[in-house]
Amino acid sequence: MDVSVEDKIIPEAKAREIFEKEFMPHLDAMYNFALKLTADEDDAQDLVQDTCVKAFRFIGSFEPGTYAKAWLFRILKNNFINDYRKKSRGPSKVEFEWVEQSISGEDEFAEPAYFADLHAETVQDMMGDEITAAVQSLPVDFRMIIILCDLEEFSYEEMAKILHIPIGTVRSRLHRARALLKEKLAEYAKKKGYH
Amino acid sequence: MKSSCEQHHECMKVIQRIIDREATPEEEAAFLANKNQCMPCQDGYELELSLKNAIQSKCAVKCPEQLFAKIRAKLFLLFILISILIPLFC
Repeated sequence: MDVSVEDKIIPEAKAREIFEKEFMPHLDAMYNFALKLTADEDDAQDLVQDTCVKAFRFIGSFEPGTYAKAWLFRILKNNFINDYRKKSRGPSKVEFEWVEQSISGEDEFAEPAYFADLHAETVQDMMGDEITAAVQSLPVDFRMIIILCDLEEFSYEEMAKILHIPIGTVRSRLHRARALLKEKLAEYAKKKGYH
Repeated sequence: MKSSCEQHHECMKVIQRIIDREATPEEEAAFLANKNQCMPCQDGYELELSLKNAIQSKCAVKCPEQLFAKIRAKLFLLFILISILIPLFC
């Protein structure tokens, strides 16, 4: 049997093969990303399922041998923006302001002095839950870029394609996201008495 | 060793590009050659590196096993629907 997927005819066996070989190995990474975006296990599972169904519908436009993970992440991100984020809430004022600054303000963002209170050893001593909570507390655009870069190790160019933003914005947004993350970790470390 | 850095903001940008493997070989070599003479840059490098490593090693979770089965079941259903619908319209 052949499968018509978004106007392209692909043999069923071939479609299944592409799905199993190219897409399924990235399920852990997709779930991780979805969980960090939605902060809810059920929503994350739904988001990954919807992404897989969409990826399957557009499987005809995927070229085997190209980077499937980046392709899947782009679909997941669009899915999240279009459906899940709208369902839960629009972007907060803080998110809007941060993103606006990173687009227009060409990165004149001074490193605040209180980072001096945060040391590499402190970060190493922190538990996974503490780091995750700090990442989770970032505005969603910053959370996205930190996960894509630091957890999934996408290149700046790949992130620019996934997020559909210029590479200069990737750099500045990442810089701001890390600054805010360090600020949150420094506050947390101070509160918890880390040295 | 210097205890303050006049270009720390610029240095932090280079440091982040280095740990992200996006710096040019020249940028990386220039930074590494001076790193041990500048305490804020050395601390900044170690902090950025430990943060990236902590996110990688402490923030990853495994996908629930049942999600694999759910996705395969959804796609199976999609295959069935496609195989029923295509002959109706062709």
